[in-house]
Amino acid sequence: MEMSLLDAAIKGLTNILHLKVFLAMMLGVSIGTFTAVAPQGLGMPLVYAILLPVVVRWEPVTGMALLIGASSVSAICAAYLPILFGIPGGSGSQATVLDGYPMGKRGEGRRALGASFMAGGMGCLVGTFTLALAIPAAQPLIYLMGAPELFVVVLWGLSMVAVLAGRRPIKGLIAAAFGLLIATVGQQGQSGIMRFVFDQPYLLDGIPLSIIALALFGIPSALDLALTKIGVEQQPAPLKGSLLDGVKDTLREWWLVLRCSFIGVWVGIVPGIGSQVVDWLAYGHAAQTSKDARNFGKGDVRGVIAPESANDAKDGGDLVTTLLLGFPQGVVTALFIVALLAWGYLPGPEMVKKNLDIVYSVVWIQGISGVIGTLVGFVLAAQLAKLAEVRYSVMVPIIFIFVLMGAFSVNRDPIDLLVVVVFGIIGYLMRRFGYPRPAMILGLVLGGLMETYLYRSMASYGFSWLARPSVIVLLSLAAISFLLTMRARLKSSPKVQAA
Amino acid sequence: MNNLFTYFLFFIFLAATVGGWGWPYIAKLMPVYVAAIPGLILVVAQLARDAFGKAPAAETGGGSIDMDEVYTAQLESKVEVRRTLLFFAWFIGGALGIWLLGIVIALPVLVLLYALIEGKESWTTSLVMTACTFLLIWGLFEYMLETRWPAGLLFGY
Repeated sequence: MEMSLLDAAIKGLTNILHLKVFLAMMLGVSIGTFTAVAPQGLGMPLVYAILLPVVVRWEPVTGMALLIGASSVSAICAAYLPILFGIPGGSGSQATVLDGYPMGKRGEGRRALGASFMAGGMGCLVGTFTLALAIPAAQPLIYLMGAPELFVVVLWGLSMVAVLAGRRPIKGLIAAAFGLLIATVGQQGQSGIMRFVFDQPYLLDGIPLSIIALALFGIPSALDLALTKIGVEQQPAPLKGSLLDGVKDTLREWWLVLRCSFIGVWVGIVPGIGSQVVDWLAYGHAAQTSKDARNFGKGDVRGVIAPESANDAKDGGDLVTTLLLGFPQGVVTALFIVALLAWGYLPGPEMVKKNLDIVYSVVWIQGISGVIGTLVGFVLAAQLAKLAEVRYSVMVPIIFIFVLMGAFSVNRDPIDLLVVVVFGIIGYLMRRFGYPRPAMILGLVLGGLMETYLYRSMASYGFSWLARPSVIVLLSLAAISFLLTMRARLKSSPKVQAA
Repeated sequence: MNNLFTYFLFFIFLAATVGGWGWPYIAKLMPVYVAAIPGLILVVAQLARDAFGKAPAAETGGGSIDMDEVYTAQLESKVEVRRTLLFFAWFIGGALGIWLLGIVIALPVLVLLYALIEGKESWTTSLVMTACTFLLIWGLFEYMLETRWPAGLLFGY
């Protein structure tokens, strides 16, 4: 049943006002914090892959609280490794090392962390507000969309593979085609025909997406740790100074925080830019627009504030395209779409039409977990720093446990184990030979939707749907967006690297 | 060697094209026309690029950003192969263990052996890790959440 925006926003809030949702959010925050601080090799894609088989059995809002709680706090706490160890954190926090580590070494680690938490929290809120405002702005357009338009939107999402694959567009497209192919395994809904089932009852419903995601991302991450046999070898910078100084710095630089947050939101919304550049764009902007940029790279707090605010705001931007258009901006949002599909929601225009309250629940969770994440960072700063010293010999078995247990819990069928091993090897080979795994996930996620919308379009309109004005407009927009992003990417990359 | 995975994909797409060719149009539209045939064309294009030495921008020093991290070997080739094989042996051993012994026994045993043999952790650390694993699998899932894990093949799965 459709509802007004205000009703949906209120229902979205009441959806999450339950103890179990709050506990799930806190669990997500704890997991996200550990992921952000733990040694290299862990990352949100792995965490999402591990959590997927578990949360798809939960009530949707509870599962969303866990997933979004983890990813939003992970971005806020991503500055630990750069500031304390001089190790670039996950994508989005790499530029922080330039000024964060010098601050840590000269005894201002707490100040840098304080600035990072505050800027991250503020950025997260800016991203959340943008997401909340984007829903009413996009809603009138969404109501005009039928199956043909939705098909074009999905196609648009899939076309982004060539852009997102960056230096390897052909390999990106091959991986996406592979994902599309895997998505067709099982009994076809429309015709009832068995495709690539080989008389195996296990394959009737297709290969479980959550096991594929778990294998593709879990195994290569664990292998990385096992290959390098390190956790973090360096001694951390001493945790000195005052968190409050960092907070004051950030509040003083509120205009920079706001500008960089909007850069983050923009990077999140525009398809094809990718999270890897968000921090560099913000850092470059801060350095270019500062009257006195001499200290950048030597421990200037603005060099921490700018990338962290942009990185955290980006999550809100990512969710705009994920929830409103139904196509992911990266691995994490692709896996979030997998979860939404498992809960029975069709992310994109259909979800905005039919489940607007759930969309608003995501907005609320995103905002609240951002605030909680910031508080956790402030309260547990010293304790969290110790987590960064966990060894590979502890991490690898933990990943083994969650990958094997996660896969086996899907059907409790030994074939689950075979599937996780096979796709684990495929994931390793894809990474080893430069085939982007997110492209395959994108193909898997969007393949089913694409087929459904294409079938409905053909059944209702034959080929005449191609002549619908809205389809022509959307196709043109997709083509323009594709070409402009490709051009921008080719132009901007050397500058980004130079920054 | 570098093209092995591309050839693997070539055969997958080829097999899908041949296997799905006889299906009705509505059933083969996505797997054959949208996925397998374009996949085949792209794989051939990739093989041609590789054959004519067109390395991606990353390998020539320029270019842009990847959507996925690309593995760059920093280890000696022999060491990398040995550690990779060893890693998969542990992982596949764990999967086989679950099939044969059941998850409640297999995962704690896997953790104990990995920590002791591969990780060279002390007995104390290894036993603590093993106990935590057992508590997680049995205590949390079986006892508290009443999730019944199936017994292994050896115990009458």
